[in-house]
Amino acid sequence: MPGLSIRGLTKAFDQVRALDGVDLEVPDGQLVTLLGPSGCGKTTLLRSVAGITDPTEGGIWLGERRIDGMPPERRNFGMVFQSYALFPHMSVFKNLAFGLEMRRLPRSEIKQRVAQALHLVDMEAMAGRLPRQLSGGQQQRVALARAIVIEPDVLLFDEPLSNLDAKLRDSLRDQLRALQRRLGVTSIYVTHDQVEAMALADEIVIMFSGEIVERGDPVSLYRRPIFRFTAEFLGRTNVIEARLDGDRCRLPWGDERPVENSTIDDPAGVAIRPEDIAISTANGSDHHGEIVERMFLGAGTNYVVDAGGVRVRVNVAGTQNALIDIGTPVRLSPPKSLHLLRRGHHGSAEALA
Amino acid sequence: MTAITEDHTRRAMAKRDQWARNRTILLLLLPGAGYLLFFFGLPLLRTVVGSFTSLDGAFTFDLWVELFNEPVYIDGLFFSLWLAIAPTVVALVISVLLAALLQATFPGRRIFGALYRIPLVVPGIVAAFLIMVMLDRGGMLSRIAEPLGIDLPRMVRDEWGIGAILASTWKNIPFMTLIIGGAMSAINRDVLHAARTLGAGRLTVLVRIQLPLALPGISAAVLLTFISSLGSYAIPNLLGPAYPLPLSVHMYEQGFRRGNWPIVYAMGTLLSVAAIFVLLAYYSLIGRLTGSHARRGSRS
Repeated sequence: MPGLSIRGLTKAFDQVRALDGVDLEVPDGQLVTLLGPSGCGKTTLLRSVAGITDPTEGGIWLGERRIDGMPPERRNFGMVFQSYALFPHMSVFKNLAFGLEMRRLPRSEIKQRVAQALHLVDMEAMAGRLPRQLSGGQQQRVALARAIVIEPDVLLFDEPLSNLDAKLRDSLRDQLRALQRRLGVTSIYVTHDQVEAMALADEIVIMFSGEIVERGDPVSLYRRPIFRFTAEFLGRTNVIEARLDGDRCRLPWGDERPVENSTIDDPAGVAIRPEDIAISTANGSDHHGEIVERMFLGAGTNYVVDAGGVRVRVNVAGTQNALIDIGTPVRLSPPKSLHLLRRGHHGSAEALA
Repeated sequence: MTAITEDHTRRAMAKRDQWARNRTILLLLLPGAGYLLFFFGLPLLRTVVGSFTSLDGAFTFDLWVELFNEPVYIDGLFFSLWLAIAPTVVALVISVLLAALLQATFPGRRIFGALYRIPLVVPGIVAAFLIMVMLDRGGMLSRIAEPLGIDLPRMVRDEWGIGAILASTWKNIPFMTLIIGGAMSAINRDVLHAARTLGAGRLTVLVRIQLPLALPGISAAVLLTFISSLGSYAIPNLLGPAYPLPLSVHMYEQGFRRGNWPIVYAMGTLLSVAAIFVLLAYYSLIGRLTGSHARRGSRS
């Protein structure tokens, strides 16, 4: 199956550009998540691919076939919505059969394919129910089955898990990932939840203000982001202004470390993830700062350390460590090498940072 | 012995409590149910009773015998139903399409959305005169058509009541569109988008998703249009033929011109009963249409 290419896609409303020249390749069978704050254009991009929104400029190709301008019913894309969007007056079976009836398949094949799809999402027992008789999680599983039963060329997800409670969200996310891998359908997944994005994606695309800020696989994007915006949107991070001396950097509390990427333009500071700093209690004048906040989270403990006027977040994992009290003087141990961040993307990300 | 008396008193007390509670409920219902009974139930009862009462106050079946034996009244009943059902059906088809169109965004939608409501503020009698000016022999339309060699059929005071039907239709379209459009815009947009991505074109979405989901609004619009056309007097009186006359016109003639109120009561009762049967038929048709959908779904 061919992959999806988006080139120069722009969507202009009266004054605002919801999308501003977006280029994106989604390789065959991969799942790409669009991640960004609300209003960043991720949903507009998804809807343009679905054909629900008409872009003002640019094109969308499925392999060699240009699909923008084609009505949604001719694209053969499956879509899953945040609001589930099941047909409220039809049973689960009829909901799934709808897309197959549109393809004029024989009754026997429709029955067989609906049964298969319901089996995939473990909802066979609910075929005769109406959507309102199902829980939110069940409705979303039906919506997923309805999108895959038509054997779509591309699957589109518009924040499908946002209306579910946290536990259900986790389990449905894992099911969804397993299913997407098994079917090997090219997918675009829109979310504002960075955990969801990292758990699901082959590639994450960070968007802001109608543009793509940065893209990459979850590991490199988390560990070595280029922009400050990315570092702060993907999980939490300390951005610390540091004095740069060649390819070494001096932290405010005195430690000195080599910098991996000392040659970048317009550095905003070094990024240190809270989980990459270790702390130890100190005595006498040998300390870097003191604990000013503590939050016990069960799986770990989050501290805020005031190191000479710089507030540093530190996460300590594990349950065996003794908790350190507020006011205790501590020493900080930053990682072996540091990573510099660039300032915002086209000046815009700075506004948020 | 004491146990029995105690049990007895307890039961008596429970009974008294029950009475007190029932009385409270009745009192609480009075403002609503009492209002309906007094202002709606009593006049209706008076009408039905009046249709069995002769002018000198005696019980009689004569009025009903007269009603069912006079072809003038029987034809009038069917003509009344025709003048109510035909504009309801025509206005319904147009209103559904219009309501669906107004769901979409297109340039000039706001102006169009305001313009189509104009007939709402035009009284029925004015609408009737408008149609007359347009469609009567020597009216605007025939004056336009004549030089082109087109001879328009008779549309005012014609035996099918075309002019009256057009006037009622024109008057009811914005009304129905407003109600049906409201029901349609309550449908979650994503549901319509989902249907499109699954392969349904605009027309299929209208028939299979929007219409069933807007059905309560459609039924309300049908009911209101049908009832108001059934009782309309000005439009058929001005635009309808000399024969048959709908019952509404007969009622006016008999009541105000001739003071024959008992026959007016009988016609009113007949018209109401006929309306109830038509609406029962409508709901059973709708029930069959939607019920078959649900049944097919659950069987599979």
